[in-house]
Amino acid sequence: MIMEPMRRRGALVAGCLLLAVAGHALAAGDARRGADLFAEECGDCHSAVPGKNKKGPTLTGVNGRKAASVADFAGYSDSMRQSGIVWTSDRIDAYIAAPKKIVPGGKMKYDGLADAAARADVIAYLLALK
Amino acid sequence: MFRNSPMIGSIKRRLFASAAVAGGVLLAVTLNTPAEAVPSYARQTGSDCAACHVGGFGPQLTPYGVKFKLGAYTDTDGKDGKVPLSAMAVMNWTRTAKDLPEAPAHFNSNNNSAVQEVSAFLAGRLTDSIGTFVQATYSGVDRVSSLDQLDVRYARALKIGDKEGVFGVSFNNNPTLTDPFNTLGQWRFPYTASDFGFGTGASPLVENLAGSVLGLNAYTLWDNNFYAELGLYNSVSKSTANKLNNSQVAVGAIDPGKFSGPGTYWRLAYFKDMKRDNFSVGLFGFNARVENVDDPGRADRYRDVGVDAAYQFLGNREHIFTVNASYVREWQKLNYTFDTLAASENKNNTLNNFRVATSYHYNQSWGATAGLFKTTGRADSGLYGASSYNNKPDTAGYLLQADWTPWGKESSWGAPWANARLGLQYTGYSRFNGGSHYIDEVNGVDRKASANNTTMLFLWLAI
Repeated sequence: MIMEPMRRRGALVAGCLLLAVAGHALAAGDARRGADLFAEECGDCHSAVPGKNKKGPTLTGVNGRKAASVADFAGYSDSMRQSGIVWTSDRIDAYIAAPKKIVPGGKMKYDGLADAAARADVIAYLLALK
Repeated sequence: MFRNSPMIGSIKRRLFASAAVAGGVLLAVTLNTPAEAVPSYARQTGSDCAACHVGGFGPQLTPYGVKFKLGAYTDTDGKDGKVPLSAMAVMNWTRTAKDLPEAPAHFNSNNNSAVQEVSAFLAGRLTDSIGTFVQATYSGVDRVSSLDQLDVRYARALKIGDKEGVFGVSFNNNPTLTDPFNTLGQWRFPYTASDFGFGTGASPLVENLAGSVLGLNAYTLWDNNFYAELGLYNSVSKSTANKLNNSQVAVGAIDPGKFSGPGTYWRLAYFKDMKRDNFSVGLFGFNARVENVDDPGRADRYRDVGVDAAYQFLGNREHIFTVNASYVREWQKLNYTFDTLAASENKNNTLNNFRVATSYHYNQSWGATAGLFKTTGRADSGLYGASSYNNKPDTAGYLLQADWTPWGKESSWGAPWANARLGLQYTGYSRFNGGSHYIDEVNGVDRKASANNTTMLFLWLAI
């Protein structure tokens, strides 16, 4: 497609804006790889089955959920209850990268997942859970 | 777990001849590897059995299980009202290549089926920092009951600088019971074995103390990588042993002996959990001086030192692969047996024990395990001459097992109450008591090592 100069300039500006936004957003993850990573990294303590809690709460429906709000899970720390977090992709990403930094005093015994692409895969899987 | 069938009796005599000495021995209450599976932990944590155990059934621990154990069995899903009780039963049918040298009481000389053991567990969290693994067992072969395993722990997290660790204390009745890995005597493959079988040969003292000692151990897993443990043990008195174990001590067959000074157990390991896979490498040792209760003074000295290593590939848990290996060398200085009893040919003997096992599990349901065992030692006509042509304790062979664990996973029927493993195990011997032939002490005749080859079909249930 051939663009006229003005339209081309407009597209360039829009592209820069998108890039600027993308600088703060997550890369799209692969939910299938995320399922395997969930089993490796998370599945001992968290379930993907609705209503199934382990040492940690079920992660089904975590997207958009307020922290410490799974009604029948009794294992939340005071720190998590008071965190005020609402679990969006960005917040999940920051938390699983460094749990003890985001929620000091939390109970989760996990040092974090350093690989950003792997975190994106896990988040893609979590967001796909129904 | 105490087993005392007549069949086992001859094995015990060999064991005592190598790991301890007539007249000064400690009661060896564990000949076959005990079985443990404890669903109350799963109910306490909300986790499935497969989270803690390779293949969805005890006792081979994953890193999650390692940390649960080192945390004093106290992790929880936060809900109150969990009852720390479990029960377990092991039933088996056993066939040996040739009939047993003598038929055990209540059983036949071959093709025996039995409810080998029924156990009750007090297993779980008592407080935020204290938890238990206590097992009482009734043996359907020996027709006796005993306090089988005892591990009461206290643990807490500690942070120094930017590093964290867990520190704990264990009060227990078996030196290797406390270990979190899958390589030492109490926890290595095979995880169940037939009381009608022939075992895997003489083993060092550290592996033959279950139920006959009490110990206090301090341990730490520091920075998730460095494991260290130090324990002090003392032998229990004959009357205490009688109360805890309906044992050979009770019928006066064996003098339990006693430690002269504390027995010391130590353990160092490096553990690395990469989530997808993990490994550990370690060193361990045990030192004890054992004297005759009725003739105290001179004591036989045992010094055990071992190395071990383990690797697990867990991945997404669909295909799980493990390797566990250990080597132990025991130095015996038989001051009492040689000098006073003149019951050994040498004052100084050695015993070497090598074990390796590798397993594959598919979908945490279908498992296959292969293992090798090899025991060698210095020739001693006094200790081994009655059953060995070359006066050596050398025993070697292989173990093969296939098993099916239908439940134990998150989505399993009846989880976490219904747990079962159905398995077929084969033990083949290339050497027994020194060579491919040995002396059947009971009948005074030659017997091939391969005559002891053992097939066991087992059903292992836990609730």
